[in-house]
Amino acid sequence: MKRNLSILLASLFVIAGAIFATGARAEGEVPAPPAIGATIEDFTLTDVDNKERSLKSLAGKNGTVLLFIAVQCPVSNAYNERMAKLAEDYKAKGIAVIGINSNVAEAAAAVKAHAEQNKLSFPILKDSGNKIADKLGASVTPEAYFIDAGNKLLYHGRIDNARNAAQLETSDLRNALDAALAGKAIEKTEAKAFGCSIKRA
Amino acid sequence: MRFTKAIVPIALCIMLLSLAAPAQKYKGRTAKPPDPIVVSAIDTNELKDLLTQQRKRPLLVNFWATYCDPCRDEFPDLVKIDKEYRPHALEFVTVSLDDMADIKTGVPKFLDAMKATMPAYLLNASDPEPAINIVDTRWRGDLPATYLYNEKGEIVYKHIGRVNPVELREAIEKVVKKGDSQ
Repeated sequence: MKRNLSILLASLFVIAGAIFATGARAEGEVPAPPAIGATIEDFTLTDVDNKERSLKSLAGKNGTVLLFIAVQCPVSNAYNERMAKLAEDYKAKGIAVIGINSNVAEAAAAVKAHAEQNKLSFPILKDSGNKIADKLGASVTPEAYFIDAGNKLLYHGRIDNARNAAQLETSDLRNALDAALAGKAIEKTEAKAFGCSIKRA
Repeated sequence: MRFTKAIVPIALCIMLLSLAAPAQKYKGRTAKPPDPIVVSAIDTNELKDLLTQQRKRPLLVNFWATYCDPCRDEFPDLVKIDKEYRPHALEFVTVSLDDMADIKTGVPKFLDAMKATMPAYLLNASDPEPAINIVDTRWRGDLPATYLYNEKGEIVYKHIGRVNPVELREAIEKVVKKGDSQ
């Protein structure tokens, strides 16, 4: 009886330890992002219809924007129209936009419904287990990564300066895309992203 | 005559009671309500001044937003720490990174629900990046972020993400003057 009780208590400690270890991962412990100029390895995730899609299969001929987005984050949602417009504007210029949802509590079905509701026509991948968010050091939504056709990271950070579109002053991401398309050096390769922290598993 | 003598004290009692009754009612109706929480706008330069000025006590600053889940989750701990230290050992302010449109609505509503009484600011900057860099060039702007400054305005503790109240208390105890923390 005593032995059983000891086993039970030991098991409870192990479970509690595991829960604590998982929960103890603070938002501040997000891995560092790759440096500008680093090459992003190809990856495969499932889309909102549970189909496997690789970065390579979705990439644009002149580059790709990876956008970490969310269903419930008001900051990410404030950018829905701007993100949809960005995808539309640069599709013709050979730059693809891919959305990535890494939030543990936002299931693929919710991501799909949200995309339809907000007319987000670009592909959105579900990053279960936040593997890609960890690999890229993404910490908030929205957060953008622009890679060239060779997967070299050219820009990382915010979409622009203002959550409120009426206060827009600097379109950092668009500036980076335009410079790359024009064959010019990108003036500002990093700008701090702001928004809701990604809810990691 | 005897009737008159008897009625006078009764009438006086009724008069006194009738005077007292409205006074009681009045007292109950105007019991001073708690002061409404006022959230002040702070621009980037004002934030810089706030953080870097010399002061008599250490300063704890919590950057947060109503849309940030871990910010909301940690707030009860911050309110406890505020009540424990601010009256005698610490200055504590909160800086919200919400939209300016929330300065009279969502932000004070949340602080009110938390019974938070520390001075509350909302960053009034169309571009938050300069403010983030003023606080800490290594901070990426993710919330919550908690910074503890000593009397000289130097950062002595920082934590990005939900605070560990035990760890934060230890950091505060290290900088508050002995005798002030009681």
